[in-house]
Amino acid sequence: MIFWEIAKRNIRLHLLRSTLAMLGIVIGVVAIASMGILGNSMVLAVSDSLRTVGDSVIVTPHAGGGSARGFGGGMGGGPSSLTITEQNFQQIQRASVPNVAIPILQTSDRMKLGVGKDDIVATIYGMNPDDVPDLLKLKEGGYSRANSGCLVGSKFADDNNIKVGSRIMIGADGDKGTLRVTGIIEERGMAFDVSTDSAVVATKDWFDNAYNRNDYDKVVVKVKNLDDLASVKTAIENQLNKRDKIVDVMDTRKTMETIFAAFGQITTFVSAIGGISMIVAGVSILNIMMMSVTERIKEIGIMRSIGAQRNEVMSMFLYEALILGVVGSLIGGVLSLIGGYAISSMMLKTTKYLFVPSSLVSIVYGVGFGIVVCLICGIYPAWRAANLNPIDALRHE
Amino acid sequence: MVFRDVVKVYPLPAGDVTALDHVSFEVERGEFISVMGPSGSGKSTLLNLMGCLDTPTSGDIYIGGTRTGDMSDSELTTLRRDRIGFIFQYFNLFPLLNTLENVTFPMMLKSKGAVDPAKGRAVLRSVQLDDELFTHKPMELSGGQQQRVSIARALINDPDILLCDEPTGNLDSKTGAGIMELMTELNRNGTTIIMVTHDPNNARYSKRIIKIADGRIVP
Repeated sequence: MIFWEIAKRNIRLHLLRSTLAMLGIVIGVVAIASMGILGNSMVLAVSDSLRTVGDSVIVTPHAGGGSARGFGGGMGGGPSSLTITEQNFQQIQRASVPNVAIPILQTSDRMKLGVGKDDIVATIYGMNPDDVPDLLKLKEGGYSRANSGCLVGSKFADDNNIKVGSRIMIGADGDKGTLRVTGIIEERGMAFDVSTDSAVVATKDWFDNAYNRNDYDKVVVKVKNLDDLASVKTAIENQLNKRDKIVDVMDTRKTMETIFAAFGQITTFVSAIGGISMIVAGVSILNIMMMSVTERIKEIGIMRSIGAQRNEVMSMFLYEALILGVVGSLIGGVLSLIGGYAISSMMLKTTKYLFVPSSLVSIVYGVGFGIVVCLICGIYPAWRAANLNPIDALRHE
Repeated sequence: MVFRDVVKVYPLPAGDVTALDHVSFEVERGEFISVMGPSGSGKSTLLNLMGCLDTPTSGDIYIGGTRTGDMSDSELTTLRRDRIGFIFQYFNLFPLLNTLENVTFPMMLKSKGAVDPAKGRAVLRSVQLDDELFTHKPMELSGGQQQRVSIARALINDPDILLCDEPTGNLDSKTGAGIMELMTELNRNGTTIIMVTHDPNNARYSKRIIKIADGRIVP
């Protein structure tokens, strides 16, 4: 088509200014796409480390408020004054039927991993052996029912060169006793319930003995039917928080949704800032298209007088805007892939989140937006050109 | 082509200006007519009306039996494309297109797509342009060569009428004479030509002269 050819040649004739206008589009696309990629990679990175499935209700003692079990160190007698009593646990259990309520004990202590080795400090969980398989999957070894056995997280095992059968002396100088490792727990990442990657999991009875405890630090309710999450949460709150707020109840799915919604909003916000640069680029496209029309008024007059229809003149200028948009946007798309690669590897130390559909979609959005902006900014100049009076246009010098 | 009682009034803020005042004339197929008159006499208005770039305020204009008065912009454009050839004083070739593309441009408008360049070459040869110039851009041609290209462009769709606006006005007298010879020969081969000029030397080539002054035809 001859009008396509003329549009192409006109861009080539004014290569410098076309390139500059395209540069704006390139920057706009890169801004939008790389922000999208970065935001999405961040969400993926966080959701990878927060590998908790959103299927639990987590009950923790209520922090704050003026209750007698507040932050007064040493008041309760236990290692932590903020705990859930056995009685409260029974209430939670009743409220969550038919789902399983898993009580969890937690502390940090020194431990020795072999004769002559230095002490380290790590988290120790205490759980009922019956509950452990519900919560933790093993990579190696087996679950332990004996009080002298324990499980360790995979990172803990790697860092300290621990294998199934290794012994750990807990407490300063091993005064809390020695545990034998029976299994290594699969990597779980950071979780709302228990973060076992760098921790030791012992039995509840051993924990009660060693730390003189008869209460709990947290209760995890595994909800079988996800639709019941909210009702279980409400039931527990109604049971325990009738008079005073004793516990905080968290629905993991809801919390994760909130976190991802917040990330989504941040991504949208930074992409919108990228969008502003696209609008600026659009204005420069509008500008050079107006220039292109003004310079060629006479040519338009000739075309119209020898039989070019309005829509044909219009198409010529729209082609011009389209070429600028498509070329600029595609260059921008390629650059944002490269840029996204660079940013991900610098900021997230990995590029595995770049070549996934949800990241690549940001590039598609950026490119699409660039082309649309160029076309929209080409419409008015093209319309002006098409609606010039041919007689006046012919007379134009 | 028939003009019957044609009036063209331009409404201006300072008051209406009557550019053509009850003009009537006929042009037969195969004629070669010069339209002469001083500037401001209504020559350009007449040319615009004949070229279907404008429509009359009142009166009728028929081109090849078609009345232009109430045609839409798109219909007038189609009429210009298919039945009228324009030749301008400043040649008005498209600088981005080469000789052959300039000539075949109206064909492409008509066919809405690619065209056989053979016809373009044939018409270019008929206006005595060398083959080697076919791929040159207009800027690389002399004025006389450019005007030959523009005549070829005007002829490419086999129009009923060739409208010329001072076709030699921008050429030296020798080149201008060459162009006039070419037009005479085209007329001899059957092309109807209407030429607006104020050069009496050019008017001598035509078979009839319409003189116009103050928007009226004068004897």
